[in-house]
Amino acid sequence: MRLLLSAELLKLVKQSKTYYALGSIMVIETLILITAYFQGSTILDLLLDNLKQSFYFEGTLLNGNLIMYIVLNSLWFNVPLILMIVTSGIVTDEYKDGTMQTLMLQAVDKWKVITAKYIVAVLFTLLVIGFMMLTTFILSYSIFGSGDLVVYINTLNFFEADDAFHRICWAFASGALTMIFYCVASMTLAIFIREAAKTWIAAALFLIITTLLLKVDFVVPVINTYFFPKLIDTWQQLFYYRLDWNQIFINNAILILYTLLFAAAGTYVFHKKDIG
Amino acid sequence: MRTLFIFLVFATQFARAQQIDPDLLRIKKRMDSVKQFTASLILDLDVPFIQMPTKTANISYATGKKMMFTSKDFVMLPKRGLDFSLSEIFKYPFITVDRGIEKRNGRSLKVINIIPTTNQSDLALATLYMDTKAVRIVQSEINTRKEGSYTLLMNYALLKDILPSYVEATFAIEKLKIPLNFMGKGTTIDRRKMRSMETKTGKIKMQIRNYNIKY
Repeated sequence: MRLLLSAELLKLVKQSKTYYALGSIMVIETLILITAYFQGSTILDLLLDNLKQSFYFEGTLLNGNLIMYIVLNSLWFNVPLILMIVTSGIVTDEYKDGTMQTLMLQAVDKWKVITAKYIVAVLFTLLVIGFMMLTTFILSYSIFGSGDLVVYINTLNFFEADDAFHRICWAFASGALTMIFYCVASMTLAIFIREAAKTWIAAALFLIITTLLLKVDFVVPVINTYFFPKLIDTWQQLFYYRLDWNQIFINNAILILYTLLFAAAGTYVFHKKDIG
Repeated sequence: MRTLFIFLVFATQFARAQQIDPDLLRIKKRMDSVKQFTASLILDLDVPFIQMPTKTANISYATGKKMMFTSKDFVMLPKRGLDFSLSEIFKYPFITVDRGIEKRNGRSLKVINIIPTTNQSDLALATLYMDTKAVRIVQSEINTRKEGSYTLLMNYALLKDILPSYVEATFAIEKLKIPLNFMGKGTTIDRRKMRSMETKTGKIKMQIRNYNIKY
């Protein structure tokens, strides 16, 4: 198993897709930073326009914490899409190049091969989110400095700088679990579909449908609370003014169970299917 | 001609003296004795669509200058409600109308209306509740032409205090809805759409401590 993991990690390090993914994250971050630098004040002015009639403002809200929060919002679509494309490639590339057959000719268990791939996909996701968090932190704090965070979630929520930073860190951690779920789902899709382009379309569709279902009212409370599309925004709950740690913990725990379920389904299908 | 001019000046002064409540003038005189002060503020914002932790700030005031605020955090300070010198009211000519005495929390308060006599003033009408024994204002309801209406409630730590230890400002505020999630290139902001005209009542509670007053 250890050898399989090393081999998968080596493939990940050697393939150019890995660096394209990291580069894409940097491009998204840079665009957000440029937009915030030139338009951030205008948008904040609009947001706080009617409050300015009644209040003087002391201090600035265009700061590193706000930029980190905006970058964090790319966890809704941009980042999972990039991650799903790259991680599904861990399986589809092997089918396309015929290396999967070569691999299966070796004396290795099929479930071990696919488990190693799932583990590498999870590690890659964590690497990307860690990279994203670190680079955003360095860039946004060095350009914009620290300060209070304002977030609009039903109400205009203000958080003090330290509190905001802690919430952002926890949100990145919770967001990483959501990204792992998406990556595992995309790899499972790759096992079912095998072809790269079709898997990308299916993965994108999965992402879109999941995001749409998040807003759908299923009437039954249990489905509304614990169906997986309802759990993908758990990281956003870190920005509710009053934190419900219990709910956040339960949501993430259930999302981990869904992730394991998708991985188990993928492993089962991979094990049953012919390699040819 | 000169006699007529002197008469007019005298008559105007006499009329003015008749029209402005003497208790208000006493309070104004007492307030004017404060040449400068510094204090620390503890602010609690109570607006239905805003959630903000308790904030602290420092204020400094000197006669004839704008009040200055400093804070380590981002703070929202009310534009109205910290004008202890009544300079906004006394900026333009006005008349007062005595509305009698009202009992509030066991205290007898003299109620007067302030009506500006010039259109230059942003003030439309003000109602002041004065504690004539302690020579200070306890409550004021201000209606302005441009900045809406607001009510100020002032509590004092001691009977001799000129400046309040607690001020509660109540004001009307428009509700707005802007999704801050989006700040990308394709974001277009429709001011009309984003601004719901629903009006809410907001309140800011200020505890004012550590006064350093110079007379």
